Amino acid sequence: MTTRVGIVGVGHTRFGNSSEYDLADVMAYAATDALIDAGILEQRHEVDQVFVANMASGIFCHQTSVASSLVSRMDMEPVPAELIENGPASGASAVKVAYMAIASGMADVVLVVGGEIMRKLTGWEATDTVATMLHTEAEYNMGLTLPSFGGMFARLYMDKYGCTERDLALVAVKDHDNGALNQYAHVQGTCTIDAIHDNVTASVVNNYVAEPLRMYSTCPVTDGAAALVLVNMDSPKAALFKKKAVRIAGVGSATDTHCVHNRKDPLLLDAVRIAGEKAYKMAGIGPKDISFAELHDAFVILELAISEEVGFFDRGKSYLAVRKGETTIHGSLPINPSGGLKSKGHPVGATGVSQVVELVRQLRGEVEEGRQVRDPKYGMSVNFGGFGNNVVAIICAKD
Amino acid sequence: MIDFSMYDVKAPEILGYKCLTCGALHYPAPMICSKCSSRRDPVTGKRWETFPLEGPVTLLTWTRVWNLPEGYNVKYLLFGIVEFENGLRASGRLGVDEPRTGMKLNTRVEESDERPGKPVNVFVFE
Repeated sequence: MTTRVGIVGVGHTRFGNSSEYDLADVMAYAATDALIDAGILEQRHEVDQVFVANMASGIFCHQTSVASSLVSRMDMEPVPAELIENGPASGASAVKVAYMAIASGMADVVLVVGGEIMRKLTGWEATDTVATMLHTEAEYNMGLTLPSFGGMFARLYMDKYGCTERDLALVAVKDHDNGALNQYAHVQGTCTIDAIHDNVTASVVNNYVAEPLRMYSTCPVTDGAAALVLVNMDSPKAALFKKKAVRIAGVGSATDTHCVHNRKDPLLLDAVRIAGEKAYKMAGIGPKDISFAELHDAFVILELAISEEVGFFDRGKSYLAVRKGETTIHGSLPINPSGGLKSKGHPVGATGVSQVVELVRQLRGEVEEGRQVRDPKYGMSVNFGGFGNNVVAIICAKD
Repeated sequence: MIDFSMYDVKAPEILGYKCLTCGALHYPAPMICSKCSSRRDPVTGKRWETFPLEGPVTLLTWTRVWNLPEGYNVKYLLFGIVEFENGLRASGRLGVDEPRTGMKLNTRVEESDERPGKPVNVFVFE
């Protein structure tokens, strides 16, 4: 029988500007919240393994060996602790590795902590740091950045399918409506379609970043941390936990060409599609079974494209669903009820863990008033590394 | 004798790679040929050939980037993905101010020192 792995504790800092604080302290705060939520703060030595997700603390904070620093601050020695780095998909990769550690029998209780402090650097420096994940010779050296690829991808998608800048703005409005209700979100204000698109002065507040993407098409630069406690639901240690576990039903991941230009069709996000298919297969379900999803909208165009790659909508049709309100919290398939990366923020190493925290909180029925998805059974997250070259999909279930 | 001549200064270039076992073209350099699995030795280059990426290209998509990273002291830069006549594709800068998807451009390579570290060669399609 396959080992059943569940999530019994979640923690999350308020995303935003934490640049005055130490990264390991911020991560330890989220981790402590997760231990408290799991009811094992005093029994934290029952944790068999710690995995820390972080993309680039060596550059952002001039700080390395964050996993060692974290466990020492939390008085958890001699627990084994390692760092997992997979660019902006580090968080979901850490959840995947935690799942594998439990499934292999090497651990019964695993603490996963994802975090990033990006705002110690200027916005320009942060953009450059994130761009180091690109191919050094063929992309980074050219001056390309992640928003550059977001812009070129958006142009291809819009030209092919008839999606407009107004459609992108509608995704942003929806995400900010959700984020405004999320106590952990970086941006807690709403925006209107009039202010960011329809009004003649909209381009003043919503200027271009990488055409055709505007400021309200891209996520902010954000600091923060999130944490999870995972348990082997069939081990004796499962009795330690009072809260009912949210089961990890499916995990899938895949890679694609490092250079975007080497994809046969630069509009296809193969790694997303394959990661989703693997997660569905493991969970024994399909896209129609998903109650809500947290998708990696570092650029709002990606929310649309990812939702198609994982089978929620036909190719080129997702923006029509947005127009009809189908992806709002009260729609037929809520997407990014947390506010997504667009509103909640994108501290790169934390994002994948934060997405799963949202899945758990929604499935437990514990989110803030006004943004609870109705009677969810399955939640799905897609964490997108590079420009789609390393992707992890996770499905959580309320049994 | 001091030789002040400039005869050995080469124009900047960016190289494509040809696997001599099967003839497949690559950019950037792979370590294993995707067509025949031949290994490339980056030191000797044995059984591989290099050639400058140059000539006409077709613009596949483009963007104008206003928020540039550290080191770039210009208001914006244009970038695009292009396809060479031999079928290879590349990403690089655009030297035209009003690009259109599908337009034909020519390849120029120039030295850039905006990024940290040593100057590097970059594509400018214009």
